[in-house]
Amino acid sequence: MTEEQRELFFDLLAKKAVYGLDETDDNQLAEFDRGLVDAEFCSLEATAAAIGLAGISEIEPLPEHLRAQILKNAPFVEGIREDGQAKIYTSDDVFGDKRSSWFGWLGWATAAAACVALGVNIWFTRIQPTEQVKNQNPPEAQQSLTERQKHDQLLTAGSAIKANWAAGNVKEIAAVTGDIIWSDEKQTGYMLFRGLPVNDAATCYQLWIFDKNQKKETPIDGGVFRVTSDGEIVVPITAKLKANSPYLFAITIEKDGGVVVSERQKIAALAKVETQSS
Amino acid sequence: MTEAILQRIANGDGQAVQDCLNKYGGLVWSIARKMLRNSDDAEDAVQEIFVDIWKNAERFDAEKSSETTFIAMIARRRLIDKIRYSTRRISADSLDDVLLEPFTRADKAMQTSIEAEEAAKAMRALKPEQQQVLRLSIVQGMSHQEISNATGMPLGTVKTHVRRGLLHVREVLGLGGSHYAQEVSV
Repeated sequence: MTEEQRELFFDLLAKKAVYGLDETDDNQLAEFDRGLVDAEFCSLEATAAAIGLAGISEIEPLPEHLRAQILKNAPFVEGIREDGQAKIYTSDDVFGDKRSSWFGWLGWATAAAACVALGVNIWFTRIQPTEQVKNQNPPEAQQSLTERQKHDQLLTAGSAIKANWAAGNVKEIAAVTGDIIWSDEKQTGYMLFRGLPVNDAATCYQLWIFDKNQKKETPIDGGVFRVTSDGEIVVPITAKLKANSPYLFAITIEKDGGVVVSERQKIAALAKVETQSS
Repeated sequence: MTEAILQRIANGDGQAVQDCLNKYGGLVWSIARKMLRNSDDAEDAVQEIFVDIWKNAERFDAEKSSETTFIAMIARRRLIDKIRYSTRRISADSLDDVLLEPFTRADKAMQTSIEAEEAAKAMRALKPEQQQVLRLSIVQGMSHQEISNATGMPLGTVKTHVRRGLLHVREVLGLGGSHYAQEVSV
């Protein structure tokens, strides 16, 4: 192959990988050895896919109606509900109730995986209590709602902030998605996760709330929880202090029961607050 | 080691289909929105892409690529077809946005796959004009001619940037290729 031929060969392959070929180009490429074309193209196509992934700076949630439609079009999936809705999970599921059997209907309103800075330098140290959060007694109607419904209700309440989960520094937990909703006014919030792995018996997850009124070194303990099965989960936030302007939320993996001071070695997920819902 | 979702789908695990949607639905949707820039077109495309994914699940080979990259390849094939056979054109306003958009915002780096991270690093080592051309073609789905028109670069230069840039990134990723490629990538 002459240099000119090589340039043409790779021009055509590169074009095919990034944009596809028209008939003329396709015919030109067909003049080259088929085995060589296939071998080179496969790796160039994978390269283009990797570049494409690297260029996605933000993952938008899949619209609920689209998800339902896709599930409907998956004929080999048994038992798809007609409405395509997800099973709603409660905090009992999350906190290890053995009754829970919650694979299945996973996704109606999907969440967004936000983009969070790589290598966020978070130093979790001792918490300095300033003000205890008062226990709120929800009205009866509120009590009858599932955690997922409370999450959605808070999201639409108007005074809540929302942030999307993205991966932290644990390689095995790269695909975590979902969101966290928090209301300063109500001092309540919910975390929705997908892709957060099941804890082993010795560990739990712990939420840390970084608040503008709190030093970075002393994030607010947002409570601990355990995941016991795959799927979508909604976890209520149990902040130990009053949070007024959170700007970052972090989930660490800790020994079962949680810690007062985190070694911040295993950050399972991060959610950076970017917009205020209205 | 846990079984890949695609392997589970290939083995007829219905639950894996939903797991696949949970894990990759947002990603595929985001790729489609980025390349097609039209929600209606993207919705059609995403449905077709997932049908393609179900059908091609058994072809996934974890030795060759990550599951994320494999799914992105399937998505891109479908989206390239959509773009080529549609009348989609970028408006002047959105073109300005596209041209000005950096490849990866420093505060918004995604960790979708190991290959993506490596590709992002490799991209940063390219000349700015090579980065721009690759981003416009691969991420934004623009044709060589559209890129030439938008940037003022000669068409031949656009082709050269795509070829050299792609081969360079492939080399960094260690995705193989023959000695022929090495001779033209410098």
